[in-house]
Amino acid sequence: MPALLEAIGLSKHYGSTIALESVSFSVQEGVTGLLGPNGSGKSTAIKLFLGLIRPTSGEALVLGEHPYDSVEGRARLGYMPEHEALPGSMTASEFLMHMAQVSGLPPSYARTRAADILRHVGLDEERYRPIGEYSTGMRQRVKLAQALVHDPVLVLLDEPTAGLDPGGREEMLDLIQRTGRGFGISMMLSTHLMGDVERVADSVIVLEGGRVAEEGAVSKYTQETETLDIEVDDKQEAVMAALTERGVNVASDGNMLVVENAGDAEYDAIRDAVADTGARLRRLATRRGTLTDIFRDATR
Amino acid sequence: MTERVNERSGEVFDLGYQHYDGPREGRSRARIAIFNNGVRTVLGLGRGPKAKILPILLFVSAILPASIFVIILSVAGPAADFLPGPADYYQVVSLTLLIFTAIMAPELLTPDRRDGVLQLYLVRPLTATDYVVGRFLSFFVIVLALVYSGQVMLQIGLILAAADPVDFLRDNWLDIPRFLAAGIVVALFITVVPMAVASVTARRAYAAVFVIGLYFISTPVAAVLTSSECRHAEVTEERVGAGQFECEPVTGDAAKWFSLIAFAQTPIRINDMIFDNDNGDPVAMAAAELPAGVPIAWYLLMTAGPGFLLWWRYQRVRL
Repeated sequence: MPALLEAIGLSKHYGSTIALESVSFSVQEGVTGLLGPNGSGKSTAIKLFLGLIRPTSGEALVLGEHPYDSVEGRARLGYMPEHEALPGSMTASEFLMHMAQVSGLPPSYARTRAADILRHVGLDEERYRPIGEYSTGMRQRVKLAQALVHDPVLVLLDEPTAGLDPGGREEMLDLIQRTGRGFGISMMLSTHLMGDVERVADSVIVLEGGRVAEEGAVSKYTQETETLDIEVDDKQEAVMAALTERGVNVASDGNMLVVENAGDAEYDAIRDAVADTGARLRRLATRRGTLTDIFRDATR
Repeated sequence: MTERVNERSGEVFDLGYQHYDGPREGRSRARIAIFNNGVRTVLGLGRGPKAKILPILLFVSAILPASIFVIILSVAGPAADFLPGPADYYQVVSLTLLIFTAIMAPELLTPDRRDGVLQLYLVRPLTATDYVVGRFLSFFVIVLALVYSGQVMLQIGLILAAADPVDFLRDNWLDIPRFLAAGIVVALFITVVPMAVASVTARRAYAAVFVIGLYFISTPVAAVLTSSECRHAEVTEERVGAGQFECEPVTGDAAKWFSLIAFAQTPIRINDMIFDNDNGDPVAMAAAELPAGVPIAWYLLMTAGPGFLLWWRYQRVRL
């Protein structure tokens, strides 16, 4: 399957400042997190994929085309910017109808589409109020709505939870997750918040200093740090000894035992050790590390 | 007898997200959308009452002089030949229209940059050139319609006030293509200059003050530089006008060139050429001494220059 986005040896220099340096990665269907601290090159990468700026060298391909040159190709792309990008004097309904038409939809279709999308983002009741009267959370929803109004193949979201309170952040992430996973619209989420990526993304690209530091499926990283917690009511030391005897790498963590990277053999060994020692097994559960743990060093 | 209500008629269906599979008209639709939105913005449509005040004032300023002339004509009839005719009408209204366009042009451009909406446009099937041309055309079309509306009203008034309207129309029919052509000249100038200024500042007030200031500074400066110093004429064999005055511009032969400084007169000179009109304004009289190609070239420079600035500014805009 062809990549939705592809960076091939992509570089962008502003004079002597290097924003991106020979970056290569691809984005497939699903929700992808573009993670990195401020100044890591996330915004530059997004601008390159949107065709707002030209690369110094290399290629930025969107749906197989160069966005800077392929004006028509942008009709299948959506963009939710980080900063303010809404006309305060227009109503959300009028603004969305207008943006749908700017994306190429005829007026009658644009009207229907605007109403559908505003309902989808939960602004159905407020659609005839001027955007200037909206709260921050509502404005973020309008920004997302305008990115979706023309039913794009791919949406680029730049810091979509910026400025939101915890409740608003949860709602926005839920909306992104529903749109990305439930309705099959691929998304690339640029953020410096690992929690956001972990919450909604299938895969992650970590940028640092204009280079790719890590790239892969979120589940791959979390699986790498997966541990199996064993909690017994008694005979913890005996179980530990029995597991060690069976060649299992086990550690004690307070009132439970921890086995890293447990496979079928480890599960069998645990079953046998518990049975042999006669210990009462209270809990056997897997625990995965968070992206915060994994990329702490990369994004520090 | 009451009709029994169907209990199932109130069912609610969650349609969820619907994908769009209708037509996509691409860049051409995007251009039309920018144009239409520009027209709505200029006219204040879909906005509060405050947004409609300036468009209404602009409309009134465009047709008010013609309305007054028509009223006088209807009362005085052909005796009111002292009134400005079609050849002078644009000079009468151009200053007021220029002031209003200077105030309104920033409304069309600066909010999109200030609010960040421009970046949303430019990631869609639309180029910066498409955006600028769409915005310019939307403003130009409205200004042109306003410029024509006063002339149309004046023409109708003149025809109806004439002793023989058919004869009047036959004798003056050339005024119609002339005012149509001159209207384009005036509308283009008073549209493109304020828009170019609005493209380089994010503050509406600065843009408006700059254009209005340009007029109020350039007009008196040109008037001073083209003004004449008059003295008693000497009585000679050739000159027998003893007791009369002879006048010389204070800047000598260069006076006619200084007349070009009068910013607001730029389109009026072309208007006078189209109507073959003898303009009584001293600055215009000085300009009339220039070769015909000079005012035309100056007009083209004063419209193409700001037009290029407007286009160039949006090619360089940093998002």
